[in-house]
Amino acid sequence: MPLAEAVSNPYQPSLVRIQDYSDETPDVRTLRLQFVDDDEAGAFAGWEPGQFGQFTVFGAGESVFALANAPWRQNGGKGNAPTIECTFRMVGKVTSALRAMSKGQVIGFRGPYGNHFPIDDWKGKDLVFIGGGIGMAALRSAMLDVINRKSEFGEVVILNGARSVADMVYTDEMPGWQEVDGVRVVRTVDPGGETENWDGQVGLLPNVFESLGLDPKNRIVIACGPPIMLHYLFLSLGKVGYSPDQVVTTLENKMKCGIGHCGRCYVGPFSVCRDGPVVTWAELNQLPKDY
Amino acid sequence: MDSSWKLTEAQLREWLQSLLDANSVIAPVEEDGVLLFRRIASEDQAVVEPSGKTRWSPKEFLFPRSEALYRYNFRGGTVQLEDPPMPEEHQVLFGVRSCDASGLVRLDEIFLSGTRDRLYAARRENTTVVSTACAAAEPECFCTAVGYSPVGEEGSDVQLVPLDGGWMLRPLTDKGRELVGDATDGWSAATAKDGKRIAEIERTVAAQIERSPVNREWSRVLEEGFEHGAWDRLAQHCLGCSVCAYVCPSCSCFDMNHQANAWCGEQCRSWDACTFPLFTHHASGHNPRKTKQERYRQRVLHKFAFREGDDEPFRCVGCGRCVALCPAGLDIVNTVAAAVEAIREEGADAAR
Repeated sequence: MPLAEAVSNPYQPSLVRIQDYSDETPDVRTLRLQFVDDDEAGAFAGWEPGQFGQFTVFGAGESVFALANAPWRQNGGKGNAPTIECTFRMVGKVTSALRAMSKGQVIGFRGPYGNHFPIDDWKGKDLVFIGGGIGMAALRSAMLDVINRKSEFGEVVILNGARSVADMVYTDEMPGWQEVDGVRVVRTVDPGGETENWDGQVGLLPNVFESLGLDPKNRIVIACGPPIMLHYLFLSLGKVGYSPDQVVTTLENKMKCGIGHCGRCYVGPFSVCRDGPVVTWAELNQLPKDY
Repeated sequence: MDSSWKLTEAQLREWLQSLLDANSVIAPVEEDGVLLFRRIASEDQAVVEPSGKTRWSPKEFLFPRSEALYRYNFRGGTVQLEDPPMPEEHQVLFGVRSCDASGLVRLDEIFLSGTRDRLYAARRENTTVVSTACAAAEPECFCTAVGYSPVGEEGSDVQLVPLDGGWMLRPLTDKGRELVGDATDGWSAATAKDGKRIAEIERTVAAQIERSPVNREWSRVLEEGFEHGAWDRLAQHCLGCSVCAYVCPSCSCFDMNHQANAWCGEQCRSWDACTFPLFTHHASGHNPRKTKQERYRQRVLHKFAFREGDDEPFRCVGCGRCVALCPAGLDIVNTVAAAVEAIREEGADAAR
């Protein structure tokens, strides 16, 4: 029997302060957060792209967001306080309360949780990041990591899709990504979501992806988005000739505890918060259709 | 070989009373004709004879229906966090059925695996389980059909076995031996004949349970037939009330919410159930289990499928409370058998 005293409270968050934010769309905001307590910041070990955190609005509740900035790694030096970024859509009680908060206010953070993208396995390969709407948030950490270390990878295509021009996230950053040699950004909006001045593509993500005509050889596809988008994207990927182990996605189930106890995010025997959220399409095919 | 003891009912009650000196004792108590686990103040409150099982399993004494995970105060421009007090009191769960004792071990597998749950771990460490072997099965009981036993030792620190005109007391773990301590003065040692009573009880009770066994290989059939149309029929009468999960000794799902006012608040955990529609409801509106068929299937399969191997026990311990208390008369053993039969007869993908 373990000594209970030796176990820390897994649910008590660290306090983090809203240092800054940027509004991506009318209902999507990216927060930049810093630890309030220097000791906690010093003890924080960082994260790997694909992991997520639990963010607390005291008085309202907790929400799960992907850790969206490039992986921060402890190097022991001063002036290296971790900044945590997350992008969230205002949709429920907690996210509405979070959206109402101002710079300088304090929220809770616990994490990182879950597994991560196997980025080191992608070295030397061509990569396609496909994000549908807020799904881009789950990809951003991996994308920024790859862009920062671009020489280790082949051609990088970033396909950012949204319902409408107004719903497209990371529009301010995309030109910067595009400037990096060997990175190509393709933007698309669903038919009917375009405006007069829209200079990107118009079409559903799976169709736009097919029209790019990318050779599946030596290529990895990393896709995040709503279940319906992934369903049709996988059909397209199969048609074009991608094998299921070339395709990586994340399961975005409802979660509460983050440590595999509360039972909410199970897909068969697979606990998304503990065993996921990153899965290959091949792994997904082994799970019951319960996501 | 552990020594076992033979006690008269008076001696057992005397021992139970002595346990109250250093422990909080939780035992079956009759309240308005219903048997419930309650903290007792003296031995005469406890129902010692095995006459039916408690309506609720004893899981709430390790995993309370609701509890604060941490508390906070709003101070100035920031927030002050506060740990809830650690459970320190030593407790004895007395008169726990073998099925319920196994249920506690199924909870351990959740709360003490990976990142340990601190509050649960503290309570578990401070808890000694005195189980009672069952002398008779109730109509809803089916432990032997799912691989458990009316005299099972899993999860017990001390086991009580009913004898003709008395009890056999068997300390099974160090914790159990410590609880018994030097109380054995005046107790007589159990004989080999008393020991044989255990096997007799097992045979007798097993014969009373008229249920066909759930085969361990059925887990794979259920997994293969995950999308089988039979689930529409099998779940048709489910009301989604989730009483099955609440009375279940091994159901461990919980919800987490914040309760707060302008000054302070807490993060509160409370029992939840996979049979509720909002359990898996995403903020986006997407719900992987939007129908009751999908939710009922999840509960049944989480007990009987998705196991690491055939050696891993079912997560249903066969207490039968969900069968006895389901307002729609659903029976998890019949459901499993019917699902397996349909999947085998019609093929795994039928009608979906």
